[in-house]
Amino acid sequence: MLATVVGSYPKIPNRPRPARLRAAIARFERGEISAKELARAEDEVTVEVIGEQVEAGLDLISDGQVRWEDDQTHIARRLSGFSIDGLQRYLDTNTYFRQPEVEGAVAWQSPILVRDYQFAAGHSPRPVKAIITGPYTLAALSKDERYRSRRDLTLALAEALHREALALQEAGAPLIQVNDPLILGNSDDFPVLAEALKRMLDGVTVEKALYTWFGSIEGVYPQLLELPVDIIGIDFVSRAGNWEALRKAPFTKKLGFGIVDGRNTRLETADEIAQAVRRISDVCPPERLHVNPSCGLEYLPREEAFEKLKRLVEGVTLAQADLGG
Amino acid sequence: MGGLLTTAVGSYPKPDYLAKARSQFSQGKLDRDDLAKLERRATEYWIRAQERLGLDVLVHGEMERGDMVAYFAGEPGGTTIGGMKIGGLVRSYGNRYYHKPVIVDKLRWPGPMTVDMWRFAQGLTDRPVKGMLTGPYTMVEWSFDEHYPSRREAVLDMAQVIHREAEELARAGARYIQIDEPAIHTRPQEDFDLAVEAFGVVVEGIAAEFHTHICYGEVELIYPDMLRLPVKQIHLAFKNTGFEYLKLIEEHPFDSRKDLGVGVVDVHEHELEPVDEVVAGIKATLKLMPPERLWIEPDCGLKTRTVEEAEAKLRVMVDAVRQVKHELELE
Repeated sequence: MLATVVGSYPKIPNRPRPARLRAAIARFERGEISAKELARAEDEVTVEVIGEQVEAGLDLISDGQVRWEDDQTHIARRLSGFSIDGLQRYLDTNTYFRQPEVEGAVAWQSPILVRDYQFAAGHSPRPVKAIITGPYTLAALSKDERYRSRRDLTLALAEALHREALALQEAGAPLIQVNDPLILGNSDDFPVLAEALKRMLDGVTVEKALYTWFGSIEGVYPQLLELPVDIIGIDFVSRAGNWEALRKAPFTKKLGFGIVDGRNTRLETADEIAQAVRRISDVCPPERLHVNPSCGLEYLPREEAFEKLKRLVEGVTLAQADLGG
Repeated sequence: MGGLLTTAVGSYPKPDYLAKARSQFSQGKLDRDDLAKLERRATEYWIRAQERLGLDVLVHGEMERGDMVAYFAGEPGGTTIGGMKIGGLVRSYGNRYYHKPVIVDKLRWPGPMTVDMWRFAQGLTDRPVKGMLTGPYTMVEWSFDEHYPSRREAVLDMAQVIHREAEELARAGARYIQIDEPAIHTRPQEDFDLAVEAFGVVVEGIAAEFHTHICYGEVELIYPDMLRLPVKQIHLAFKNTGFEYLKLIEEHPFDSRKDLGVGVVDVHEHELEPVDEVVAGIKATLKLMPPERLWIEPDCGLKTRTVEEAEAKLRVMVDAVRQVKHELELE
């Protein structure tokens, strides 16, 4: 049983700690510092959020996605074929992302995440997972008048992201996580996702994960078990119905067990977390659990995110003492 | 009046002296009374500006509010609903952060929150000034909730709080009360019934004309469902979406007992709309709705514009309405 995160970590702390990245971005936008100086601030904050994840006691961490403006544009800006359009509400949150717009053939140009992975791995005593927004979600949240079929765009993105996955594997990433939350609620497109992941992860021999959040797995489970990944991440907080839905079939993979609410500041107790592990153990045994928040942590203030991770680790420790794994 | 009444959605830009004073106040360098004096001075400015520009129904401009939710939830200088406090910083997009409120206890009406400012603004003018509140669904949706076991319980308790405030506004003499619900379509399938139910609690038994303003997000997902809201007027941001909502009304007529608020100028663009363009938008809407059921407004609150831009946008709006009325001989 591992304690981990889904991905993002709040970029700035609250007073009295300094909001270094916010200040650096503002200064960069006013032309007061160079891109190089901004990148240095991003590196510093990455080290800081790695430190907090390690201090909380996680077994497997992320780079906090500190450099990501949002899940879509961070990737789309660096592929060819996209321009970036206006603000859109991100699913049922009060956060917004800039919508990618497909303007030409989508293609991979050069590594997008490799340098960030290497930097994080070089500054972390714990393994770091590499995270990529999935081809289906990128297609679903983009404006597209070129491919005109979500399937075609998804497959083109899968082809492009295949290069990225291979580059990350080459760079030494021990786990490549694909985030495709938009497949929930779009079960008719499940075959498109299956085909896309097959292409994207072809030749990827390190551990692979598919993460989802917010939605119900109704309609895509147990089909999710057919995907060419080792770990499936599911949010059990936003949708309590996912507990029951998971009982439809024996769970044959590792489970990314999203049980700490990444969108609310109420702090779970270590007992509640241990209870949840116990409750899922007849469907998925502890040794196959990656226990994590229900989604990225950027919906929370930094201090609450850190506190939640500490409790998650305490809960996992309690459950291990109780159940093994 | 021959219809096509003009009004505004809520907020206006704060003059520099007020923005500066608010920042001094939050650092403890200015006391509440001194801040209040400046808020009133700025409010008076906007009341006079709206009279000068010729709006029919005025707003007080929200000079005392920073954010439409946080003002009621612990923002410095605001009036806090019992059971709420201000939380830490959360990113909304890009490099924008806000202090997200938290529900920490049972929600309670703390006594009148908006009545003094409304009374002050209404005392300055013969034209009606709207009472302005944030709706229960949006208040809860844009806050963390550490107290209630379900969103439903939080939203319905919040509705009681907003109801009490609306009651006080009506008692003070507010003829129009606008309840903004920009988050109402966050989970249309799951929660729209709840949002309608909560709205019912807010307006129950209050003799005022209720308006609502809905913006951002996918309005098409709650049309025609939104017609179930117990309000006299629903206002939507038409300009920002290129008047595409007209298609919705073409397919399913608007409720014949309700008025439609038509946003005709974009509040997020510096660029000023030409009068002709606004005239064309109003005329296109008039093909589907009679003038006596249309209100002409900006798309949203104007607080992100400069004072000059905001006034220029209002002027274009009023000029366009005059031109349409003249052409169609509505006056």
